Amino acid sequence: MSTRTASSKKQESNKKSLIYWILGGVVGLGLVVWLAIAIAGEGAVDESIAFGEVTVEGDDLPFLETGAADPAVGLTAPTVTGETFDGEQLTIAPDGNAKIVVLLAHWCPHCQAEVPLVQSWVESGGLPEGVDLYGVTVLTNRVRDGRTWPPQDWLESEGWTSPTIKDDQQSSIVNAYGMTGTPTYVVLGPDNENLGRISGEIGLGGLETLAELAAGSLES
Amino acid sequence: MSVFFYSTLVSLLALVALAAAAGLLIYRLVRGPEASNLLGVRAIWLAWLVALVATGGSLIYSEVVHFTPCRLCWYQRIAMYPMAIVLLVGAIRRDFQTKFYALPLALIGLGISIYHYLLQRFPNLEATSSCDPNNPCSLVLVDIFNFISIPFMAGSGFIVIAVLLGFYVNKNSIEQETRVQ
Repeated sequence: MSTRTASSKKQESNKKSLIYWILGGVVGLGLVVWLAIAIAGEGAVDESIAFGEVTVEGDDLPFLETGAADPAVGLTAPTVTGETFDGEQLTIAPDGNAKIVVLLAHWCPHCQAEVPLVQSWVESGGLPEGVDLYGVTVLTNRVRDGRTWPPQDWLESEGWTSPTIKDDQQSSIVNAYGMTGTPTYVVLGPDNENLGRISGEIGLGGLETLAELAAGSLES
Repeated sequence: MSVFFYSTLVSLLALVALAAAAGLLIYRLVRGPEASNLLGVRAIWLAWLVALVATGGSLIYSEVVHFTPCRLCWYQRIAMYPMAIVLLVGAIRRDFQTKFYALPLALIGLGISIYHYLLQRFPNLEATSSCDPNNPCSLVLVDIFNFISIPFMAGSGFIVIAVLLGFYVNKNSIEQETRVQ
């Protein structure tokens, strides 16, 4: 008799404990739902300030495959006009100067590592006479990294001084230069001939090589 | 509520979970096998709560904040989400074998979290030194206190679940083990 009472008491206590834990789970789920509703209720941010109007004249370069040689060497890159951070128009066109165009994504850790290097190289006079360096901010996405958004603030904080334009929301400049990864460097001759493209961190040695390539096109 | 506030809240939870796991491990080292008596069946219920909140928290990031999970995030989800169900069933049935199903998931998930965290801190661990425009795993979507990112939070969840499951032991087997010692 007493064994049965003890057993039924134990069963009752188990039942109670089960209910408490399930209630704990419901409270946990409730907390998650409340957080979801609270976050969803936050006002939207105008993300258009990080993009600009872009026009592309000419044929897009074919996409650069990772690890493969650039299939577009010798082709003429399109003329690209975009908006700088100050809202002014800037054109990357055949103007008699060779160019290095670097496409940067603010959220990309490789771009974040490369930008200070490029800036210090420019400041130390690494860029040869007759060669211009342009930046393009591409694939801007505040959700991916709010700390470096908008990209103009990020570049400003890195002391970036090279003329830079913003890609549009349709990624027209990404397509124009056939970019498949960030950062991407595009080296253009004085007549906008594509001398070569490379994707990834290249460091100071790589920058020197690109500068030599660009400067070489001025001599020929 | 801002995403930053939410992330800070979840980060604090992760730190509390890690501290609790460390405390439990130290207690186990000091007390030996009988340390498992500390939590009893509560261990599996707590592990379930951790898995439930981790699952919900991860769904908030993807469905409400609109972070797109990368490949490694998906692998961690594959390890975490089933535990929210498996541990509940195991807890209701008081099945001490449950840990043999859940523990491998927690340990595999932890391994992936560690690799993902390292990849975020050292992006050059990847074969390529450029970012895939679609959704690279090296992307740091959340960075609280300069060291807590999403894989860190997931890893903390896996650790605390694994430790709690280690504490979910049948009382009879503890008594046997203590007697043998």
